[in-house]
Amino acid sequence: MDTSLDETQRLLRDSIREYLTREVPFDRIRALERDGGIDEELWRYLATSGFLGLPFAEPIGGGGSLTDLAVVLEELTARAAVIPYMETMAAAVALERHAGSDAGPVLEAVAAGRMSLSPALSNGLPGTAPPSGTFAGGRFSGTRRLVDYAQNVTHHLVSVTHNGRPALALVDRSEHGVSMTPLTQIGRTPLANVVYEDVPAEVIAGPEAVQFLRRSLPALTAIQCVGNAQQSLNMSVEYVSMRVQFGRPIGTFQAVQHHCANMATMTLGARFLAYEAVWKLDHGLADDRLVLRAKSWASKTATEVPMLAHQLHGGIGYTEEYDLHFFSRRGKDRATAWGAADECLSFLADTLAEEPAWQ
Amino acid sequence: MDYGWSTELAAFRAEVKAFISEVKTPELMAELDNSMESRRVTPGLRKLRAAVDARGWVKMCWPVEFGGEGKSPWFQFILAEEFSLAGIPYGRGTASMIGPAIERFGTPAQKAKYLPGIWSGEISLALGYSEPNAGTDLASLQTAATRDGDDWVINGQKLWTSGAHVDTHVWLAARTDPDAPKHRGISMFIVPLTAPGVSVRPIWTMGGVRTNETFYEDVRIPGDALVGEPGQGWYILANALDFERVAIGDGTALVPAFSRLVSFLRDERPDRFENKVTRLRLCELELELEVMRALTLTNASIVARGDTPTMEASMAKVWTTELRYKLGSIGMDLLGREGALSPQGEGLAPLDGEMDRTYRTSPFLRFGGGTNEVQRDIVARRGLGLPR
Repeated sequence: MDTSLDETQRLLRDSIREYLTREVPFDRIRALERDGGIDEELWRYLATSGFLGLPFAEPIGGGGSLTDLAVVLEELTARAAVIPYMETMAAAVALERHAGSDAGPVLEAVAAGRMSLSPALSNGLPGTAPPSGTFAGGRFSGTRRLVDYAQNVTHHLVSVTHNGRPALALVDRSEHGVSMTPLTQIGRTPLANVVYEDVPAEVIAGPEAVQFLRRSLPALTAIQCVGNAQQSLNMSVEYVSMRVQFGRPIGTFQAVQHHCANMATMTLGARFLAYEAVWKLDHGLADDRLVLRAKSWASKTATEVPMLAHQLHGGIGYTEEYDLHFFSRRGKDRATAWGAADECLSFLADTLAEEPAWQ
Repeated sequence: MDYGWSTELAAFRAEVKAFISEVKTPELMAELDNSMESRRVTPGLRKLRAAVDARGWVKMCWPVEFGGEGKSPWFQFILAEEFSLAGIPYGRGTASMIGPAIERFGTPAQKAKYLPGIWSGEISLALGYSEPNAGTDLASLQTAATRDGDDWVINGQKLWTSGAHVDTHVWLAARTDPDAPKHRGISMFIVPLTAPGVSVRPIWTMGGVRTNETFYEDVRIPGDALVGEPGQGWYILANALDFERVAIGDGTALVPAFSRLVSFLRDERPDRFENKVTRLRLCELELELEVMRALTLTNASIVARGDTPTMEASMAKVWTTELRYKLGSIGMDLLGREGALSPQGEGLAPLDGEMDRTYRTSPFLRFGGGTNEVQRDIVARRGLGLPR
């Protein structure tokens, strides 16, 4: 048990943080949010620097862990990057772990930055109904709502029923028969409803990959929640330490200090639980309840901490020209993705009898 | 990052679990209940302590120079966690705090005089810290110790001297230099409660536990009752917890209490358990217990790698004590009207009144042991670096 970053993780964090600080100004994020699209330049950097192959076994990837990946993901979140990194990596890792050699070419293409993925599941939470739509003869027809980066990734990983069992099928987004309705959302990152009409769909992985994906998505989204909360907290601590009112920094007021203390406590709890969920998933020790406990708390944290940050910043933090809104909007966006706080709690409540606590 | 346990620690946990399952008999548990109530060390508890001692578990994580084995603090953590989960108070109350302080600051003669008795339970110490006008601002304490030849003469009054009616001694903080800055003029003494001039008045609390007010009128004690140097008291007080910093206190005990609540509702009140609102409330508690585990383990992880936590211990203290209130309160609500039945009543209280007891004892832990307001100040100033 050790909650600190190891040497590799520190190097990863420092190198991506240094690049983002230098090369990805917030005005570029503003432009992307206004004009749509993703940060192609950042994606190319991630490909050439090995971040897109980080968690795949060598020689295709860098042989890193899922926890290493989470460290990078948190940094990208703290810079409000507009790229389908979480979606692509969650999908690709599910394939690497559970699709056997069929996944090889996909992983190579992902690592090289030629291919990007977004999971198009009909419902993200575990233990839910079989996927909607019809899949037969290698073709899929159906609807997938609220697919992140659907318009931007090269492929969708669609949940289907194959031979009576859950499976994942790869659909080329540019195929004739794929139509997308873009949606505007609070995070201002790309999102769309997708209709598939008799499109080619290649089954690439079975039930184990589906189960892994249904856990890796909430676990990694919890990391994004933590990133947004932490960044909001850091900005608040910095701001209240220098903002002077009544002749002294407002950070000297106990009411302000206690807000900060509560924010830090919530965030530290969310951080432990999110990274623990990722680590245990990586080591085959995670179950649905563990992952959804982490996501539920992370969702709550990514909502409440940025909102308190707004309270501490006052007017300036409320403006578009200040950067805080990136994290309060993205925080809430991530809070609703792959299990909102109460959706997770509801699942936990339904399964409470099955698994008495702390046995 | 590593969220698993090494083979060595997993083996140790198994060893502790096996030990507990051996000693945990209904007779022992009943005896422990009585012992908690009366604050007296009963024969069963003494035997249990001897058995824990015989395994070398008490001091294994202490530094070698203070009689320990210098093992990783994780051993201490696991030991405390397992005993807490089992509902057995393996610790020695104030002894586990004062023992190490005497090891560190006492003279060889004082160590020989007090330590064997402290570890065996022959000597037990009440904490003489707070006073009517020195609570959270403890350094303002006014009880005075004045030199008279080789002796010291104590005059003053202490509040919340909890075990004073059953303990043998009081671990007393007194002012020896009224002219020094307030943190510098304090010294620590071991005062026999049988000394002429000491008197004890009971104070009963709504938690059902007795505490005391103690008065010191020209109490004469020998020079060797002083531990450490004159004026070193505040430093000793602040460091008394050092060896046990990784210990987890009362928090872990909430986990089995929560499990008992869930089991009781599921097995004895299925109509309530079927209600989704009941289950949501339980899961909210489950989640907050997870956050408690997260904060506790993060704190322990920092200690275990040899660093000093700046704010994590305070975070865990605030979280744990506020969660204790929530568990008691929500637990009583989920049981409905019968949740209000008292444990000392007609024997009809669900879970023998555990939720009621948890609720009634929760205020103490929130304001005691450093108020939660002060803990939040520590998080903000020492941890986050906010200006004073």
